[in-house]
Amino acid sequence: MRTPTAKTLVFYAVIGTMVAMVFMGATIIFPHPLLLVIAMSVGQGIAIMSLALYLLGVALDLQTQGGAYIPYEEPAVAEEPVAVEEPAAVEEPAPVEKSGPPKE
Amino acid sequence: MPEIHSTEQLLQVIALACAVLSLLIGAWYLVRRPHLNQVTKSMLLLGLGVFPLIVSLTGNIASFQYTLTRPFCGSCHVMGPYLRDAEDPKSNSLAALHSRNHKFGETSCYTCHADYDMFGAVTTKQNGMKHLFMYLTQYSGTGPDGEGGPPIHIYKPFKNGACMQCHSTTAKGYLEKHGDNVEEIRTESVRCIDCHDVVHPLALSRRPGAKKGAAP
Repeated sequence: MRTPTAKTLVFYAVIGTMVAMVFMGATIIFPHPLLLVIAMSVGQGIAIMSLALYLLGVALDLQTQGGAYIPYEEPAVAEEPVAVEEPAAVEEPAPVEKSGPPKE
Repeated sequence: MPEIHSTEQLLQVIALACAVLSLLIGAWYLVRRPHLNQVTKSMLLLGLGVFPLIVSLTGNIASFQYTLTRPFCGSCHVMGPYLRDAEDPKSNSLAALHSRNHKFGETSCYTCHADYDMFGAVTTKQNGMKHLFMYLTQYSGTGPDGEGGPPIHIYKPFKNGACMQCHSTTAKGYLEKHGDNVEEIRTESVRCIDCHDVVHPLALSRRPGAKKGAAP
């Protein structure tokens, strides 16, 4: 965790989820009408907001790190190079003898 | 270990287990404050995403099932007289007779009072929200059975269709007893509870001095 913003977001997401879970759990154990309505509306709203905060926090954290974690992979061993035929040697032109007066 | 007798109980156990797991993961994060590596992120995704989602789904279904039951309807104190009569094994009121029928069981209130149409469950629950609002605003400071509050009345006339879910108007026994009024009953011009009027005898509206226009 590098940025304080992401850290704060995840912290509040955890707190919100715990509150929502207490609400929903209490509703199952003590199903009173008012508690039921609160848990089914406010409790679930808090839980959804908490999940959104957590995802935002993770996204910010990844952004700060410069992207998602990509494991390093060893480069694949190069296969034997395919033999490339060398181009046929171009015959050099025969040196042209210069005609001139005979040497004495 | 308590035994599980119904799907509703199974869903409740699943919801509670997932809520506890989610709370444990949250507590672990708050106590340890680990770095946000892959393991932490995965654990938090379970604790903040997967488990709450399961709690929400199973909890909603289990809670909805519970809202259909008689104890839920009777959990507001103004419904006390209705609940006591329905659960009285010696009572001969319609509510008690139907509550003793194993086909109604614990859901006798909902079976008779739910709207019998395509979106009946939705409209019935909307009315339930109205009940809750009225309870909080008008009946919260009333007596043990709602004394002192405005008289409880049904939103709209009780339809014969609710009775005819089970009591077929084409059955031989029914025709023998109601032969002269069958068409009127089917068209709702005569209501079942006009004759079968001992529905909720302990209701405040049935007590001496009650105002007219309250529920039967």
